[in-house]
Amino acid sequence: MAEEEKKKKSVDQATVEMIEKASSDGCSIVFERAETLKPCPIGAVGSCCSNCAMGPCRVPLPKGREETPEEKAKRRGICGATAETIAARNFVRMIASGAAAHGDHGRKVAEVFLAAAKGEAPGYQVKDEQKLLQLALELGISIADRSNEEIAVDIGELAQQEFGRQEGELLFLRRAPLKRQELWRKLGVAPRGVDREVVETMHRTHMGVDQDYKNLLHQGVRTALSDGWGGSMIATELQDILFGTPSPVFSQINLGVLKEDQVNLLIHGHEPQLAEMIAVVAQDPEMVKYAKSKGSNGINLVGMCCTANEILMRHGIPIGGNFLQQELAIVTGAVEAIVVDVQCIMQGLVEVARCYHTKVITTDDKARIQGATHITFDEYNAIESAKSIIRAAIDNFTNRTKSIRIPQYKTGLIAGFSHETINYLLGGLFRASYRPLNDNIINGRIRGVAGVVGCNNVRVTHDDGHLAMVRELIKNDVLVLQTGCSAMASAKAGLMVPEAAVQYAGEGLASVCEAVGIPPVLHMGACIDNSRILIAATAMVKDGGLGDDISDLPAAGAAPEWMSEKAISIGQYFVASGVFTVFGVTWPTLGSKEVTDHLFRDMEDMYGGMWAFEPDPVKAAHMMIEHIDKKRKALGIDKARERVLYDMAMRRELE
Amino acid sequence: MEYKIKKVSAPNRDEVELLGATFEEGNPEGEDAGRWRQKLDTRMEKLKYLENGERYWYGKDWFGSEKRKTPA
Ligand code: SF4
Repeated sequence: MAEEEKKKKSVDQATVEMIEKASSDGCSIVFERAETLKPCPIGAVGSCCSNCAMGPCRVPLPKGREETPEEKAKRRGICGATAETIAARNFVRMIASGAAAHGDHGRKVAEVFLAAAKGEAPGYQVKDEQKLLQLALELGISIADRSNEEIAVDIGELAQQEFGRQEGELLFLRRAPLKRQELWRKLGVAPRGVDREVVETMHRTHMGVDQDYKNLLHQGVRTALSDGWGGSMIATELQDILFGTPSPVFSQINLGVLKEDQVNLLIHGHEPQLAEMIAVVAQDPEMVKYAKSKGSNGINLVGMCCTANEILMRHGIPIGGNFLQQELAIVTGAVEAIVVDVQCIMQGLVEVARCYHTKVITTDDKARIQGATHITFDEYNAIESAKSIIRAAIDNFTNRTKSIRIPQYKTGLIAGFSHETINYLLGGLFRASYRPLNDNIINGRIRGVAGVVGCNNVRVTHDDGHLAMVRELIKNDVLVLQTGCSAMASAKAGLMVPEAAVQYAGEGLASVCEAVGIPPVLHMGACIDNSRILIAATAMVKDGGLGDDISDLPAAGAAPEWMSEKAISIGQYFVASGVFTVFGVTWPTLGSKEVTDHLFRDMEDMYGGMWAFEPDPVKAAHMMIEHIDKKRKALGIDKARERVLYDMAMRRELE
Repeated sequence: MEYKIKKVSAPNRDEVELLGATFEEGNPEGEDAGRWRQKLDTRMEKLKYLENGERYWYGKDWFGSEKRKTPA
């Protein structure tokens, strides 16, 4: 493989090394498949409808020129659906799917939470009393001298009701800035129930139902809000109570964290109830002894994708890599088992595992993969389930066959910047506060705040989009908040340690990071934890001095390497919460100018935030900075105002 | 802890001694490094912290940018 071509696949050396190893081992991986299978140009821009058996109908734009009115009139499906209807239906179905994924994750957490509160799920318990009390205060649940478990039962029941709620609005909407809540109500997008919005979107996109693209996109907004301020937020909050609210923790990331002499157990997916229990049981002396009896020196638990972020933040467990590295971990030849639950798990893992000795173990009955070993993870018997999974991995240690090569790349990082921790770090235990952040934004040391989130996408150079964007932002004094695979890209490049501030950040941002002792890029968790960014933004608003709504803040969002439907749902709830949000790679409504204009322009008038598409990450960063500057100007803080200390002579002059 | 002291000259004054930055010794290590929530022990302390530290939502006297008579 030519040097240039290998670099184009990834900017991460560990990844480049393993792509090469896969090729010499004759093992097919995603990077290779992407070369032979190109994306369908009609589907990519939302111009293909397969919602009924009279189709699929493809309604592509003419290539390289404006379409004539006659051509536009003809661009319809068999049923007469216009290109606008088709693009909007496809777009809001993506939102519905993403919101359903996050919502179902939240539902499962609520179920385990309630069972734990009732004492029916041994191994799980209330770990963070403070977060429990916080939710009780918020949801109007009596605290008095009730036990944590009694309070938790009430919280769990209320949380479960949010999914099936039929009317009114989701409880967590009350957390948003007051002005934002009023806007949602005025525009009729305050979601009623997590499930209801998803179901209604699926109904309205069925053949022959909602055929007005603006009306469809309106429902898309409501569905996305039921994710960000509903399903995702419920998941984050209940996980914090069960497993602890993240606080700063040091760890390491990249394939170099795998250990040749130990049983490498990779845990991949999204829901932390599995990973948490594996993390606890893997330390059990009985398990370690069993691993040693097979000739290894112990058990090395390593995370992959979002579940990795969860156990990193709460236990400091190292991360093997992000989305596009899942197959490559197996290619090292050193992984005994990759244990998966739901979301972002490539079916290709099973094929890659066949080239080596690795066992792919599925654990969730709703996510089986043909050819994988299935061991159901039973939350009601979690310890025993975790033990069987770990034993299966240990038993596989003696089956190592092919040459093992672990790339020697790993980087240190600090993670665990939940909203609560940022608030504490900025203000201290006695007056936790966002004031120092707001003050430094007002005085211009920090230009603004950006959320850079999302996936990897094999259609662009792995990690390059994230890194180019994040570096450009911090160089321009923008504090960056990250989650998901995007956070991992920055961590691998050494941007998530305090020293990175001096090396990469602009002078103003670096001085604040040094004073507080934080990196210029803050790891806030998994993708489900984007809800933490919404809360951080709300805290900035509520602290004062930066307007009275999220749309007033000098802030922007981005997903430069997005690929999943969840990313579209996340982007849409950020836009509807007032954030300018730019996506890279590709844009799924380009097949309709009207739909795209509505998302990119009209939404700014409606929500104060809007979508944008820019595949060049540096250009996209500049769009974000421009937006931040526009907001600074509107707030009247566009010129840095240095404080002048007046001496007596100056005072006299004033008089 | 060793204090770093440097001498600086202030205008219209003799040389003065300035106490430099102080850091706790060593690198924080282990699973508990960075954990701050454990500093709050009793339920009363936790509730007090919520009312004060998370006053944006749970404080009785906090309005910030949102001071208004009618609730949203
Ligand atoms: S719903 Fe209409 S546009 Fe879609 S496949 Fe059927 S006929 Fe074609």
